[in-house]
Amino acid sequence: MGLTFLLIEDDEIERLKFTRVLQKNNYNHTLIEAENGEKALEFLESNKELPDLIFLDLNMPKMNGLEFLKILKSNPALRYTPVVILSTSNNHNDLKESYEIGIAGYIVKPLKYEDYADKIKCLIEYWSVNELIKR
Amino acid sequence: MSNELEILQRALQREKAARKQAEQILEGKSRELYLLTQELKDVNAKLEEGLTEKTSELQGVFGNLVDAYVLMDISGNVIKMNHSAEELFGYDINKEQLNIVKLIYKEDYEYAMTSFQELIFKGSFSDYQARVYTKHKGVRTVHINASLIHNKKNQPIAAQGIVRDITEELERKRIFEEQKKQLSAIVENSSLGIALTRFGKIIQTNKAFQNLLGYTPDELLQKEVKNISLKDEYEKSASNMQKMNDGEINNFSVNKRYVKQDGTIFWAKTNVAAVRNEDGSIKYQVALIEDITEQLEFEKQRDQLVKNLEKSNKELNDYAHIVSHDLKSPLRSMNALLTWLKEDYEEILDDNAHNSLNMLLKKVDKMDHLISGILKYASIDKVDHPKQNIALHEIVADIIDVIHIPDHITIEVATELPIIQGDKFRLQQLFQNLIGNAVKYNDKEQGLITVSCEQKEDFWQFTIADNGPGISKKYHDKIFQIFQTLDDKNESTGIGLSIVKKIVVLYDGQVWVESEEGKGTTFYFTLKNKI
Repeated sequence: MGLTFLLIEDDEIERLKFTRVLQKNNYNHTLIEAENGEKALEFLESNKELPDLIFLDLNMPKMNGLEFLKILKSNPALRYTPVVILSTSNNHNDLKESYEIGIAGYIVKPLKYEDYADKIKCLIEYWSVNELIKR
Repeated sequence: MSNELEILQRALQREKAARKQAEQILEGKSRELYLLTQELKDVNAKLEEGLTEKTSELQGVFGNLVDAYVLMDISGNVIKMNHSAEELFGYDINKEQLNIVKLIYKEDYEYAMTSFQELIFKGSFSDYQARVYTKHKGVRTVHINASLIHNKKNQPIAAQGIVRDITEELERKRIFEEQKKQLSAIVENSSLGIALTRFGKIIQTNKAFQNLLGYTPDELLQKEVKNISLKDEYEKSASNMQKMNDGEINNFSVNKRYVKQDGTIFWAKTNVAAVRNEDGSIKYQVALIEDITEQLEFEKQRDQLVKNLEKSNKELNDYAHIVSHDLKSPLRSMNALLTWLKEDYEEILDDNAHNSLNMLLKKVDKMDHLISGILKYASIDKVDHPKQNIALHEIVADIIDVIHIPDHITIEVATELPIIQGDKFRLQQLFQNLIGNAVKYNDKEQGLITVSCEQKEDFWQFTIADNGPGISKKYHDKIFQIFQTLDDKNESTGIGLSIVKKIVVLYDGQVWVESEEGKGTTFYFTLKNKI
């Protein structure tokens, strides 16, 4: 059964990378893209259908990833949707703060696209076998 | 005849009677005389006894008199001395004549003569104080009270004096005065303000105290402690005073403000100590005050500086992360786009294009290494992990496990490696960079890398020796500087050894290199026993 992902990422090429991984592997999952935290919140609050999983970049203009995460986790309707961080930063503080607020995973984006594709593939296959709350 | 006889006989009778009467009277008188004599004898004996008694009593007084007693005639010839006088002057007048003039200290002669005149005219003098020569004890200072002795016609016949040796008393007084002077020199010249108070009233101050407060000594004596304190602060220290009065504490220290004569205020560290009477009640309080206005100002500035430093340190650290993140993101995009070009247009692109794309990918890779290296270098002393006991042989074993070691290279741990207190991440970096370099640059058919350790006085000395290409002497200092690399291999960023140096320096150690070109290189570094 296909899952619905929300990818929150300001960088267009990063969004392209994610899309390409889904395409190349012929996954029938649905990808919703949001350029930043505000747009993602707009979508989440207006849409009755919540995504199964959120992929979140940390470093974004305006509302950054951690700010978005805090708002999400303080919202009773949204807080059960698992969030996986996709970041270039392996800064200890970022990791710690993310886990404190509440995340389901933290992926450091590798330099090479091949490595990135491998990681995302693993990630999607892992979540495909998970039980998720449906609304 | 018979008449005549009778008459004669009667006359005889009368005569006899008269004689008998006379005899009787004489006898009576004699007895009276005898009795009188006896009585006189008794009285005399009694008198003599009394006199002896008095004389010996007086002798006793003389003898036992602690002060010296001297009796002399009007010309100054000593007639009598008691035991103390003999002791003091060292003369025995039974053996040699002594005139009082002989005893007078040369410089006091005039004063002695004036006093003697006074004695003659007034009949006495008291509190005469002068120096005298003695036979055995040298010059002594004595105190004399003297008076004249007159005969019945009120003519002076002798003079007597009570002499007290006050040499030692004077010496004690002098020492006491000297100590007092020394003490007051200390108190007066102390840079600490010192005040003696009783029940909140100032009763003595030193110069520093007067200078600090800007009052004269007399003005201060009119003041109470509360007059020179701020009201609420005075109340605060009043509670300490109460505890002191109650005997709970003997001293306390507060930082409080004082109001100067001109109304300005300064901060002073104040130590108050109790001086107690024998019954434990407070006699005085001694207050020592030290102007700390400047010190507080410095402390404030220092705190501000530290705060600023912390802030800019944090900013720098954040900056390194943000910059590295911002720089890394485009590299990831470039890598993705280049990879896609290769994938999607594999058929169309010729070898030349493929080559160019691969070279581009390599440059992107190197750029990424550089950025990671800078980040690592910047954060090596920023992140402070708690110190742990680190078994270095485990660290080295892990490194050998983790880094790629080609088959022709052998790594040998030649000695035991110690357990060191430190940050695991840093120690790992340290060994990894050195061993990694030795592996990476080795150019021999059979590469050999030896790790060893030697215990010195209070530090460990580690060596990592290889049989690689060696490093020319002119580069021995340069290699530890950031971005300095001797190799143009792609992975070489010139950051690894600068991180090594930074870690060693951070732990107060040293790092240096010995090398012979073509034969190999040995890196040395030291770590303190306790880091």
